[in-house]
Amino acid sequence: MTARLFRGLAWAATLGATAALFFLGDAYALRIGMTLAMFIALASGWNIIGGMAGYPSFATAGFFGLGAYAGALTQLRGVPMPLAWIVAAGVAAIVALAVGWIVLRLRGHYFAIASLAVMMVLRELATNWTMLTGGGMGLNLPVLQLGIIAQARLFFAAQAGLAIIAVIISALVASSGLGFALRCIRQNETAAGMLGLDARRAKSIAFAISAALAGAAGAIYASAISYIDPTDVFDLLNTVQPIIMAMLGGVGTVAGPVIGAALFVVLEQSIWTNFLSVHAALLGALVVALALFLPQGMLGQLHRRKVKP
Amino acid sequence: MVGISRRTLLSATLATPMIARTARAQGAVLRIGAPLPLTGGLAPEGLKQKHGYEIWADTVNKQGGIKVGNGMAKVELIYADYESNTARAVQATERMISQDKVSAVLGAYGSGAVKASSSVTERYKVPMLAPNASAKEVYDQGYKFLFGTEASNDALTVPLAKFMQAHLPSLKTMVILSRNDLFPLALGRNMEAAAKQAGIDVASFQSYAVGAMDHASALTEMAAAKPQWVFVTGYTNDLILVRRQMAELKFSAPIITMLTGPSYKEFSDALGPLAEGITAVSWWEASVPYHGIPPFPTAREYNDAYIARYGTAPDYGEASSTACCIALQAAAEKAGSLDPLALRDALASLDVMSFYGRLKFGPSGQIVVQALPLFQLQGGKRVILAPEDIRQGELKILS
Amino acid sequence: MIGQVLTNGLLLGGLYACVAAGFSLVWGVLNVINLLHGTLVVLGGYLAWMAWAFLGLHPLLALPFVALVVGLFGAGLQAGVLNRAVGAPVLVTLVVTFGLDLIVGNGLLLGFGADYRTIRPSLTLGTAQIAGIYVPLDRAAAASAALAMTGGLYLMLRRSWLVRAIVAVRMDRDAARLMGVMVSRAYIVTFALSAALAGAAGDLLGLVFPISPLQSGDYLAISFTVCVLGGLGSVVGAAAGGLLLGLVESIAGLLLGPQNASLASFVLLIALLAFRPDGLFGRKGYA
Repeated sequence: MTARLFRGLAWAATLGATAALFFLGDAYALRIGMTLAMFIALASGWNIIGGMAGYPSFATAGFFGLGAYAGALTQLRGVPMPLAWIVAAGVAAIVALAVGWIVLRLRGHYFAIASLAVMMVLRELATNWTMLTGGGMGLNLPVLQLGIIAQARLFFAAQAGLAIIAVIISALVASSGLGFALRCIRQNETAAGMLGLDARRAKSIAFAISAALAGAAGAIYASAISYIDPTDVFDLLNTVQPIIMAMLGGVGTVAGPVIGAALFVVLEQSIWTNFLSVHAALLGALVVALALFLPQGMLGQLHRRKVKP
Repeated sequence: MVGISRRTLLSATLATPMIARTARAQGAVLRIGAPLPLTGGLAPEGLKQKHGYEIWADTVNKQGGIKVGNGMAKVELIYADYESNTARAVQATERMISQDKVSAVLGAYGSGAVKASSSVTERYKVPMLAPNASAKEVYDQGYKFLFGTEASNDALTVPLAKFMQAHLPSLKTMVILSRNDLFPLALGRNMEAAAKQAGIDVASFQSYAVGAMDHASALTEMAAAKPQWVFVTGYTNDLILVRRQMAELKFSAPIITMLTGPSYKEFSDALGPLAEGITAVSWWEASVPYHGIPPFPTAREYNDAYIARYGTAPDYGEASSTACCIALQAAAEKAGSLDPLALRDALASLDVMSFYGRLKFGPSGQIVVQALPLFQLQGGKRVILAPEDIRQGELKILS
Repeated sequence: MIGQVLTNGLLLGGLYACVAAGFSLVWGVLNVINLLHGTLVVLGGYLAWMAWAFLGLHPLLALPFVALVVGLFGAGLQAGVLNRAVGAPVLVTLVVTFGLDLIVGNGLLLGFGADYRTIRPSLTLGTAQIAGIYVPLDRAAAASAALAMTGGLYLMLRRSWLVRAIVAVRMDRDAARLMGVMVSRAYIVTFALSAALAGAAGDLLGLVFPISPLQSGDYLAISFTVCVLGGLGSVVGAAAGGLLLGLVESIAGLLLGPQNASLASFVLLIALLAFRPDGLFGRKGYA
């Protein structure tokens, strides 16, 4: 009971902090908040397929980039911005369903590589389909004529809203039959099949949800930054960082990706701000240390301590 | 609990922006933000920008700073590595303005990142000077705080097509090989348009992927068109590889133009005799005749100071970066103020000569077009062929 | 024209094979996807450049030294860090090698700068013309040496007692431990061999291509593709997969335009994974 109360308070405090940042933060704090919210959405989305189902997807950056381009292209054709974001989520989900039909047959390392290849194919398409995407020259989006704070608040609110949706979806999935099926798949997929679970359907849905969240995040990113090109939005870091975040917090849990993203973004930002030429190496050292000494994530660590009296 | 700790950590991060600084604040200081791509795909270009800024800042500070009103102001550059990522460039720009309170920002590398981050400087009303953004689309947004020291790509390609046509009467067919990447691809497209305008047939337009390790297929196909002119764009490493493979496949043409590799010393060093006869255009050459304001009145003096400091010769990348700084310096001296708005107005009406040429920005903020040097590598040296007033030699046709 | 394109593809493919062979070995034996692999190739390139710039050594002569140094570096990494991660879940090993890659890559950037380095040996072999096909001899020498190195690894895996232990570990870790094989030492040797081969590949690539830290991602992507094409953990597969990838890229470059060459190879990769996950030449088991 107290654990439940504690959890409720923690979520309430997080929401309170989000609201406080919205009303009180300056433009730069809002920008960092926007980045954090984006990574919460990406990490939570990845966690549904990568954590709950145990399918180590490397396609996150692929769907992020796909969403960015889908959102940008629809917006450039006159579709209102929020609608373009929804379209982008839909496009990413549909592509994930189609691609998932092929790659979700594979497991473990093979799935990891196939999903990475999916990202590469999407990036090459965006790079080479110059007529549509501008290729390496990139795409320019309309710039909003808003004040500094108004614009910062708008995109912070959009990414934070998406992050909240992502967490709610995660919680719903975790407590539903789908979540049960995904956990069975992670434990033993063959046995899950024998129990009469439609593993294929469960995996496909999880993959599509994860892709839709990444696609929406990409589309909001594109609107906020007003310029996209293939190397920016199909960046391998957008695949790897959400995974590290989910691991940091606790893979497969609802709160894990949120905690991990918050911790990682704060650490990463402070390293980046304070070290000009060695920030990549410091981040690397941090990542190695965390992976070696905290393989279960923060939540895993807490739970383990609880078991031991 | 989670939320609280996140908030405190976040504000703790924001409260301590300690960045590498080149000078300590004492009295009046002109603070300039410089987001640089020091890691990631654009790292070689980022280093050139950094050198271009650094040599100016140190030279000026050694002389006591720049004259602002009745006193002198030191200059202080605030760097950030934006990791060749546009979002990071935008974030770094905003951080420099809102946290470090800079008076001006030096632009990121490339048209895309400059366009995205110029929306930030525009909103905060802080001038941005972009050394390496040449696409016209960057400047046609009606922004009042954006200035660029590279003339548009047309200024390179249109005179180039005219020159080649005049000097090689048999010129009918050309082929273009372009890296599928922001600046090189835009340049290739510009060349295609300029060639069509001049009535030169573009028999083949190919683009290769970033990181391509083999150009043999494209070159084999291009050789079949028997072109008189081969035009290649890319970064230095790509161009070295293309030139080597052309030699391996015994593919040659009367004119081989490569942009912008031949401007760089690395290019001729790496290729040796294979670099012979390659033509290029550039925004700046050490042999341009301009005479202008200190601290580097002439191109020759700039070139020598740069070699003394870094051991290699500068190319247009460093020169354009330094030119941005000199424009800012001239604006600050003219305005007699370090206020961003005053700097902006002074930049908009600036008209001075420098080692880089005339520093005058057009209504869009892009520098006014001047005749750009066209050169050929002859005997391991860059020999200027045009414009006429600085011509050093004649075009040699390759076999 | 097609003969020319096939020749180009094979010459490139030989180098690809050498880039990927070590990656494949580590994957097969340690069950680790080594995201650091591309950076080890670049490290080899820089060492070859140093040997040429400071000692005047031709990359072919520097080859054994470069391989040795990068191999020792790999042994150190495995002993110091990676041995702790072997046997951990996939994600942990991926994250650890990713972090190591950031560290080593940053080190190379600080040590050598971002500029491209080019090796220009005084002795160049030129181009031969055989039956109307131009064969660039430097490339041919590099590709042959690369294939020879890959072949050498194959022979070592078959012949050497020490390395037999590695294969035994790969087949069954626990059984090998019971048989008295020092598993962690076998891991160190494996990773060192893989790193040595990566270094050798970097050295040979330096003979043909400019060297830069920016290239590491491309070499990693090549390793992935070759491994999947040829089958995981098989050295013969890596050799065949490398040659095949070179051919596919060259032919696709001719037919679809050079910008689509890598797109074609990624699509092929997904298709192969979906329908032949053990690779075209996949044989479970030996070398």
